[in-house]
Amino acid sequence: MSFFGFDSSLPNQGKGGGREKRTATPDKPLDFDETYQGLGEYQNEEDDYLNNETFGNATDLGTDFDFGYGKGELSSNSAPSAAQVDHGRSYASAATTGPVVTNPGYVAAAPHSMDEGMDFTPMESLWTNQPMMMQHPQQPQHPQVLSMEELERQQQQQQIGVPHGQQQGYMGMPPMPPMGYGYAPQAFMPQAQVMPGAAYPSAPQGMPPQGLPLPPQGMPPQSMPPPGMVPPQYQQHAMAMQQQPGAHQQAVQQVPSVVSPLAQQELQQSPHLVPKAALPASAGVVSDFATPSPPHLAASKSASGQARLASPSQMAPSSQDSRESTPRGTRRGSMRKHQEPLSQDDFKRLQVRQAKVDKILRHSGVMTPRDKDFITRYQLSQIVTDDPYNEDFYFQVYKIIQRGGIVGESNKGLIARAYLEHSGHRLGGRYKRADVALQRMQSQVEKAVTVAKERPQKNRENFDGAKEGVLGKISSAKNSKAPRRQLQIPQQRDEDEDLGTSAIEDVVESLNGVDISSSSRARRRSSYAFRSVDQRAVLSRSGGRKFVLSLIETVYAEVLDLEALLRSGKETDSTHLWESLHIADDAYEVSPFISILSFDKGVKIMPRIFNFLNKEQKLKLLYCFFSELSHLNIIVTSSYKTNPDPSDSQLKKIELFQSVFLKIIVSFLSSSAEFLEVLGLLLALVKNNNVSFISTSKIGLNLVTVLISRAALIKQDVSRGSVLSSVEASSWNEIYDKLFTALETKLAAVFPPEEYTSKVVATSSNGTPTSATVGQSSGHQFYDQSYIWQFLASLALSGKLNHQRVIIDEIREEIFGTISRAEQLVKNVPVEEQQIALYQRDKLYQDLNLFLNVMGLVARDGEISELK
Amino acid sequence: MLFFSFFKTLVDQEVTVELKNDIELKGTLKSVDQFLNLKLDNISCSNESKYPHLSSVRNIFIRGSTVRYVYLNKNMVDTNLLQDAARREAMSARK
Repeated sequence: MSFFGFDSSLPNQGKGGGREKRTATPDKPLDFDETYQGLGEYQNEEDDYLNNETFGNATDLGTDFDFGYGKGELSSNSAPSAAQVDHGRSYASAATTGPVVTNPGYVAAAPHSMDEGMDFTPMESLWTNQPMMMQHPQQPQHPQVLSMEELERQQQQQQIGVPHGQQQGYMGMPPMPPMGYGYAPQAFMPQAQVMPGAAYPSAPQGMPPQGLPLPPQGMPPQSMPPPGMVPPQYQQHAMAMQQQPGAHQQAVQQVPSVVSPLAQQELQQSPHLVPKAALPASAGVVSDFATPSPPHLAASKSASGQARLASPSQMAPSSQDSRESTPRGTRRGSMRKHQEPLSQDDFKRLQVRQAKVDKILRHSGVMTPRDKDFITRYQLSQIVTDDPYNEDFYFQVYKIIQRGGIVGESNKGLIARAYLEHSGHRLGGRYKRADVALQRMQSQVEKAVTVAKERPQKNRENFDGAKEGVLGKISSAKNSKAPRRQLQIPQQRDEDEDLGTSAIEDVVESLNGVDISSSSRARRRSSYAFRSVDQRAVLSRSGGRKFVLSLIETVYAEVLDLEALLRSGKETDSTHLWESLHIADDAYEVSPFISILSFDKGVKIMPRIFNFLNKEQKLKLLYCFFSELSHLNIIVTSSYKTNPDPSDSQLKKIELFQSVFLKIIVSFLSSSAEFLEVLGLLLALVKNNNVSFISTSKIGLNLVTVLISRAALIKQDVSRGSVLSSVEASSWNEIYDKLFTALETKLAAVFPPEEYTSKVVATSSNGTPTSATVGQSSGHQFYDQSYIWQFLASLALSGKLNHQRVIIDEIREEIFGTISRAEQLVKNVPVEEQQIALYQRDKLYQDLNLFLNVMGLVARDGEISELK
Repeated sequence: MLFFSFFKTLVDQEVTVELKNDIELKGTLKSVDQFLNLKLDNISCSNESKYPHLSSVRNIFIRGSTVRYVYLNKNMVDTNLLQDAARREAMSARK
């Protein structure tokens, strides 16, 4: 097949073949004179004398050369000179006319006829000796003027320039897109050989990829299928190669070096085109180039001299040099004007980016969306639950508390949102449909809940469930499941402890003369017996410390269960809770319930217990409480007699008890207790306890105050409609008398001594301020005696006149003491503390008047007068 | 689930995380998972001069196993509720 009249079917025919092809052009025989510019004749050819030096003098004019492989390796003297011949021509065109200058002529002429394709001259130079003449003038200049690098640059230019012209001349094609065009000669060859797939970016004409590797394999170029682009490119390449003389090997060798970056650039320009191929292609270019090139060159009528270039040993070392000597910018500028020149940095960045894209895409598509959904679902199943109030209790309740009871966004919605962020899809992927992504994730969460439900329950039958630690290894799984046992305490030790406990009990009992065999109903509730801050004695009488602590935990468990029931709207049954409180338990000398209140956590749980108890149970509980008040640890702690030196933590305990348990009692009494019930509680208190001791403690005094003031209020409350029955009234008087008798002659003892109050003030101003003290600033605290005056006021209110007289008689000193203290405060005080002193004085009067007002008196400005 | 549940309540709060390599990072907790891996935002390193490479890091993902402590503000924790939650967990394990 003739390709535009160019018969390339005989690569080994030597120079003669080329000429014949030319002349065989059907339209018009090629006349040499027309094709030859005649430079050799008209141009000034000085320095011809250097020709021999440059090319050797062994060759006569007119000698035929075999440029192909027909004669094997280039070994004779004639070969280098032959190479120089065509190279000389290249120089000539590059240096004198330059590619740009020569091109216009061809471009215009080419489409019309081959005759006018004047640019065939370079080809001619391969087959004739004539160009040798015209190169002469130029040749000598190079050594003088140009450096090696410049020389190489020129070679590159001509390498590019010449094919450029030829292509248009041959093809008669409209100008090609510059992209594939400019560097096609370089990029094409190695790509085609190394990585056919990668080559097509360089062939914008749509060349079928499979066509590429074929020609180099020795297929005659004429037989190439229509993709007209290919043969010219080969041709160009062949030309380019031929133009490089064997003597100037760098120039030739720069082909591969140029190729590798270019190949990458092309791929980067069109990253959508199989980016995977980019790296292997570029990486393999230099080394792979050497081997495939010989056949390629041969197929395209390469000069025999190229065979030498093919040897890898020469290629490798020089490729680097030539890369350095090839300024990228100039290449870019001349060839890819549409694109901004890439700096070295830009190029590196592109490379890095490409590598990144490559990395990302390497495993893309390995999993289907269904697979991903599956993974997501199982991952999510670890963090969702179908029973949030059980397994996610803290979070759920915390959020409700934080929002003040308003349930915000659903837990599942939150999880979906959070997980979406995790997975990096929160922007919704390619279509930016964040809402869709969220919806999808929400449905995933829903499904995950199902998965979680099916998940074998931890600590139940299937310990090593298949989904345990789903999709992530819990390295310490074994330890967390089967932790090493604590040190094993020998059984004997326990017995020793028991012995010790019982020994203490024995001692305690013998000391207090308690009859151990008597039933609990006959418990002796002497408050004097256990006046010790040390609670061990009391605890040991109610089952021991560990028993009480375990009781508290049982109570908590019951309460939590009941609360869970309440949340789910089910009926609650307080029977178990009631039993766990051991209030009616007679097996212990001191009710375990009283001991429960010895611990802060026992006190704290009380309000929650009260939520589930019915009124009868509450009354029983309080009856038990008031009956055994003397055993209550907090009474002992808060009494100045038993605990004259309270610590900060003890004060806090007192504070806690007041704010938690006293509050419950007050609210219960005021909301639902009947008069007789209040009387019953008061009776229990008076009958079973040493009231005078209890009244020395703040808590005890508060409790008594609460009971009598509540009773007094009910009695006086006319709006109740029902006047007290005579039975009620008489029992009230009876009980009051009992109480008063117990307190009589000891009423002054309710006032703690000076040392005690000052200690409390000191302790609480060092630690956390408690309600035990009052003051405008932390520096000026003083003991708050209001609870005492409240007690006296309510006692006086319920008593008759003779009771009031007794009270006043007994506490007269305290009354006047308070008044004088109040007056003293204002007198000897510097001006700057006047304010504080005035406040303190007012407070003292205010408290005192609580009591005095009951009897129609008022203390003011150091004097007591009748209340008007 | 207790600690996971607990740490979920700390999301969007500022915490200080001490890692087992002694680095201390203060930042806003963005998310936590069942392994107690943490995501922190707007982090600052308490010893920046020692770990200058962290000075330009704004957010960070911390593998849960590398955490030694998480320092919390006192008022971020409802201790009573936490006690309840711990009891519930113990109860559900017992059943």
